[in-house]
Amino acid sequence: MKEIDARGLACPAPVLQTKAALQSQKLAEVKVIVDNEGARQNVKRFLESEGFETAVQKDGNDLVVIGKCSATLQPHPQKVPEADTEPKKIVIMCATDRIGFGDDELGLKLMVNFIGTLKEMGPDLWRLVLVNNGVKLTIDESPVLQDLKRLEDDGLTILVCGTCLEHFDLFGKKKVGETTNMLDIVTAMQLADNVITI
Amino acid sequence: MPPGDLDKALCGLEFPTDKNVIIGLDRADDAGVYKISDDLAIIQTVDFFTPIVDDPYWFGQIAAANALSDIYAMGGIPKTAMNLVAFPIKDMDISVLRQVIQGGLDKMKEAEVVLIGGHSIEDRELKYGLSVTGFVHPDKILTKRNLKIGDQLVLTKPLGTGIINTAIKAGLVSQDVIEKVTRIMAALNRDAAEVLKNYPVHACTDITGFGLLGHLAEMVCDSGIGVQLNSSQVPIISETYEFASMGMIPAGAYKNREFREAMIEISPLVDRGVTDALYDPQTSGGLLICVAKEKANSLMDELRHHKMEDSAVIGEVIPEPKERIVVV
Repeated sequence: MKEIDARGLACPAPVLQTKAALQSQKLAEVKVIVDNEGARQNVKRFLESEGFETAVQKDGNDLVVIGKCSATLQPHPQKVPEADTEPKKIVIMCATDRIGFGDDELGLKLMVNFIGTLKEMGPDLWRLVLVNNGVKLTIDESPVLQDLKRLEDDGLTILVCGTCLEHFDLFGKKKVGETTNMLDIVTAMQLADNVITI
Repeated sequence: MPPGDLDKALCGLEFPTDKNVIIGLDRADDAGVYKISDDLAIIQTVDFFTPIVDDPYWFGQIAAANALSDIYAMGGIPKTAMNLVAFPIKDMDISVLRQVIQGGLDKMKEAEVVLIGGHSIEDRELKYGLSVTGFVHPDKILTKRNLKIGDQLVLTKPLGTGIINTAIKAGLVSQDVIEKVTRIMAALNRDAAEVLKNYPVHACTDITGFGLLGHLAEMVCDSGIGVQLNSSQVPIISETYEFASMGMIPAGAYKNREFREAMIEISPLVDRGVTDALYDPQTSGGLLICVAKEKANSLMDELRHHKMEDSAVIGEVIPEPKERIVVV
């Protein structure tokens, strides 16, 4: 793998070094080391615009952007088996603010209990995706807002559907999670080991 | 410097003041304003930077237009200027400096401003800019405050100069695009400032290093109101998207985003390239004018009539969500 050390360089130099490396030879894999957030994002974008799939690792104060040329991969790349110590990637897709049908009051109680108990999944819980009525769990009036904030503080990524927030006129009222789009949601599902729909 | 770092440096320091200071550092605006008499105040500002284009003459023009802009943004008329020069005399031919200053002088002539002094130092990198003093009636000062619900936001120049300047440094931009962007940056905000004097304008600022969203955030902070920005209406130089997708984004854009994103809600339907332009630090950007709703259309007509064809109504002041910017 070609390695490019672009530490200590200001934008756009890290991108230019990467560009020069790609032009000099056809590379299937490239590793670019940078030391600031702007350079990381710019190099990542550049590689993506050149058809690479990217991943970022942190190495002390350095950020390492790894690009793999998608064209050289199999159409359906085989999943690399993960080491036993790696947590699983579980996505929970929640499209409601109540659990189940029948009694709404009971459904709400179950939801409070459900979100409160989610922490038991530990690091295996990778993403919580909130769509449709589920986005109402992120606003001030939500009975589970504090629980969701705690989960987020513990490192859970909570993705909140922007289209849904817009539909319910809740833009600006969301108090937890990142606003997201369908592409991110679909990508999360694809990368997950397990998707649980509520 | 990035907005957050400057705050850290200044936080807690005491600045000398007196009763004639109308706008000082305690409520930082585009420039300082000091009252001389009941019908006259002076506006003072200073701005300088390293070259953004290779041509020294055009760099001089852009640096001067950028420095003069703060006076226009505050509703004033620039009167006098002083040159600020840092020059690598051992490494660069002195004729380069002459061309830079000629560019600055031509811009000052256009603005009917007189140069009455200056200061130069030897430095490793060329830097140029101006300190400018302007006049304004104390009752007619335009600030970043005083937004009213329903007001329309008008932007007079297209965004994207930071991203395109980064691509210029990388040698990726064609000569005709360089010329187009150079003309945009070198254009004075004077005509826009003249036009808006006849309209019920409640607030005004110029778009520079903090990007459109950063400067808008300053207007929204502690205001009790919010702003909705219609991203599809924001004028953006068309080449911006291509260079943004290639990673030609200045580090300042990421800093601007980091500093302000907590008060900004961007709809997921907004294209990433547009978001990049909204945070992009501008060099000598346009005026952001906050005008009473019923007069917005006639203001737009007059701006277009005065050759500011890129001008657009880009948003509205809304009651909720308070002190947040919603981008749709």
